[in-house]
Amino acid sequence: MTFSLTRRALASLAALAPFIGAARAEEDWAAIEAQAKGQTVYFNAWAGSPQINAYIAWVAEVLKERHGITLEHVKLQDTGEAVRRVRDEVTAGKPGSVDLIWINGENFRVMKQEKLLFGPFAGRLPNFALVDVSGKPTTIIDFAEPTDGFEAPWGMAQLTFFGDGQKLATPPLSMMDLLQLAKTQPGRITYPAPPDFHGTTFVKQVLVETIRDKALLDRPTDKAGFTDAAKPMFDYLDALHPHLWREGKQFPPSQAQQKQMLADGELLMALTFNPNEPANLVASGELPATTFAWQNSGGTIGNTHFVAIPINAQAGAAAQVVANFLMSAEAQARKADLDIWGDPTVLDVKKLPPAEQALFKSGDVPGGVRFPADAIPEPHGSWVPLIEAAWLERFGA
Amino acid sequence: MARTLRRLTPLAGALPLVLLWALPLLLSLAITAASASDTQAWRALLAHPQLFPALFLSMFTGLAATLTALLLTLIILAGFQGTALWHRLQACAAAGLAVPHLAFAIGFGFLIMPSGLLARLASGDASPPAWITVQDPWGLSLTAALAVKEIPFLLTAAFAALFRGDAARLMDQHARAAASLGHGKGSIFLRIIMPQLLAQLRWPLVIVFVYGATVVDMALVLGPTQPPTFAVVAWHALNDVEPAANRMGLAATLLLTAILAMAILTVHGLLHASRDMQRRFLTAGPSALPAPRIGAGIIAVIISALLLLSIFLLLPLSAAPRWPWPGILPPLTGGTAWATLAASPAPLLLSLGLSLAVSAVSILIAVLWLETQPEARDRWLLWLALLSLAVPQLAVAGGQYRLFLDVGLGGKLAGLFLAHLSLALAYVMIVLSGPYRGFDGRYMKAARALHASPASALIRVKLPLLKAPLLTASAIGFAVSIVQYVPAQLIAAGRFATLPMEAVTLSSGGSRPLTAAYALALTLPPLAAFLLAGIVGRPRWR
Repeated sequence: MTFSLTRRALASLAALAPFIGAARAEEDWAAIEAQAKGQTVYFNAWAGSPQINAYIAWVAEVLKERHGITLEHVKLQDTGEAVRRVRDEVTAGKPGSVDLIWINGENFRVMKQEKLLFGPFAGRLPNFALVDVSGKPTTIIDFAEPTDGFEAPWGMAQLTFFGDGQKLATPPLSMMDLLQLAKTQPGRITYPAPPDFHGTTFVKQVLVETIRDKALLDRPTDKAGFTDAAKPMFDYLDALHPHLWREGKQFPPSQAQQKQMLADGELLMALTFNPNEPANLVASGELPATTFAWQNSGGTIGNTHFVAIPINAQAGAAAQVVANFLMSAEAQARKADLDIWGDPTVLDVKKLPPAEQALFKSGDVPGGVRFPADAIPEPHGSWVPLIEAAWLERFGA
Repeated sequence: MARTLRRLTPLAGALPLVLLWALPLLLSLAITAASASDTQAWRALLAHPQLFPALFLSMFTGLAATLTALLLTLIILAGFQGTALWHRLQACAAAGLAVPHLAFAIGFGFLIMPSGLLARLASGDASPPAWITVQDPWGLSLTAALAVKEIPFLLTAAFAALFRGDAARLMDQHARAAASLGHGKGSIFLRIIMPQLLAQLRWPLVIVFVYGATVVDMALVLGPTQPPTFAVVAWHALNDVEPAANRMGLAATLLLTAILAMAILTVHGLLHASRDMQRRFLTAGPSALPAPRIGAGIIAVIISALLLLSIFLLLPLSAAPRWPWPGILPPLTGGTAWATLAASPAPLLLSLGLSLAVSAVSILIAVLWLETQPEARDRWLLWLALLSLAVPQLAVAGGQYRLFLDVGLGGKLAGLFLAHLSLALAYVMIVLSGPYRGFDGRYMKAARALHASPASALIRVKLPLLKAPLLTASAIGFAVSIVQYVPAQLIAAGRFATLPMEAVTLSSGGSRPLTAAYALALTLPPLAAFLLAGIVGRPRWR
């Protein structure tokens, strides 16, 4: 009797557990929100786009109004600045100057490995439940590195090419097509020099399209394995380079410059990680309305960008409230709006209530992606330094 | 004021300068130098595939730009001396000096690039020609831009040297003596004026050379890319997230500094060894060599045109979102870049306030030093100031950052102020010490004899007579301060949004209209400061 009662009690307790957990989480979250009130969050984020800066300013207004949080956008030219600053402050034992950081890939891996991040926190944020973790696996695996809750997904990115339809009637939908195009239009194609982020991604895309055994890409590699696996990639680049801008001996140092060279008519195409950037550029008048975008038919490399909280953040509670708001349907829909920023959402829009689904507008716009394709996950992180070093060795001087 | 000054003398008069400027500067340099012992970083650097070609490019661009700028400056001076345009030239040089390097580089780049203005005027093709101008593999575009931009600086330094104290009168006497011996105007310049001038231009030339060989922002716009110049290699490594790469970047900075020092010492040695040859040339009998008036005129016109055109080009570039090939003029739409700038006036106001304060405090500290310290002590101070300018700014900033972080000044307005002061005060001391020490003490004696108190003699006699150099030094301090980007980013943790901070972060997005608008916005305050200093500082009796 005693035994059965205990067993029943245990069983009912077990059945209640998720609800107790949820109630506890709600309570915890309420406590975090209360603690967050009045805090100032120094949000370190790349600030190269007035549209993005304006969006962050809007977020700041909403947070001030609803949560009493002051959000200061610390404008970065390069995210590495903030990573180094956090590391130096932690080493010197000084209070942190960074509360929230816009991050992914290499920067995240380094911070996570060096234990410079607060967390895990992402799974505890109420809005994390809305994230499409199964449909968009890169929301929890950042460049083959599991996020483990140390960063909260913010937006989606996928390698996308764009050009002027008046000068480029049929886009090259694969790297082989691109080689043919470069041969017929010598000097009008190029890519940014690695280790520029976009340049490295272009080379990675070549790797993905030329490697014999694609399964290798998900696994760690070493110098010998890389040299062997990447041989077709370098064969391709050796064949491509003589037909590029300045015979492939010089490369633009950044995606920004390549974009400008396209606008000036020096190049036929450029690349971006935001599939909506070309549409943005048409809207702002920097590119003609005849611009269009495409993704290689076999898929292009895609990833997710996140926000993370440094271990020495002074406003950790408020930083979590900000991260949570950034994942809300309201904030995500506004971010995805082409007139605002045009950054694709991390949420599963189909699972949202109809009213919130309606916030996500869609439609064909000038500069939009005319040939979309699937996203391919990034190769394992160990490939990147090897790609960059080998590229520099071959083509750097 | 002067009585208080006297009570402070001499220790307390030196304290602000030592504590706020010299000490932090020395500590910063020491911290940077201390990091030289990391053998792994040096090994990584020596294995870097771009090491030697990049180093060669840096030395070539630095040396070629310095020599070209010097040669053209000397021709301009030789051709214009004794003409009615002499004094106007001085005003032009000051205006050219006020143009920020990066702003000029952006405009100059658009002038010469394959889709730029010259190409549009020259080519009728459907797409831009395959010119190899901007980012040419030899660094020639960068060299040309550096040379053009440094000519106003060298001219200003030359004018300062020529008008210092009794120098002008003495040189005039020498010139007249040489003329009576049968020397032509060109020969007089070559044999009398130039040797004295070059001796005074030594440090400005070192600064020009080091700047040219270590510049990053201009090199990113105009310089070669594969390999880039060595400063760009170091800059990329310093910006990497991997600490090992950062240490390699630091090693690269130190290596560059050492090689620059060696190059400067080599030139110095060569000049010393060739003294006899120089003397033979200088004492060669009378020559009727005339002044190169036409050559100087042509050079001055081309340089002014390049500077003016580059800056004026920023206007259409900033106003139109797009300038499609092959239009000679951009479509008249847009203005969004200026709207973005106008929407956030806070960074402009912060920068104006900060730089005004930095300039005023620099002058105050410098005058305090000059009033209370014997002239002999200026020597080591000027050495330190010149050293701080001659060491690549990347190296100074790195040490400063560690220092300020450790003493709790990181992310603080006070830290930002001190970092700005570091550079501004160095320039102010260099510019001000000559005219200040050259001041004829008899004026003060006369004032004191007329029963003026030391304070009123200083305020009513000395400072007004030194108005022109004081204002020029303030303008230079202001101009140097307002274009600084690194202190706001590195030392103030980005928490204080200054105008250059806004400009640099926005330009990383690559929008040319925005970059051009901010470049212009950064040009106007220093230009206004120099114009104001020129107008207010004009002697009343002229």
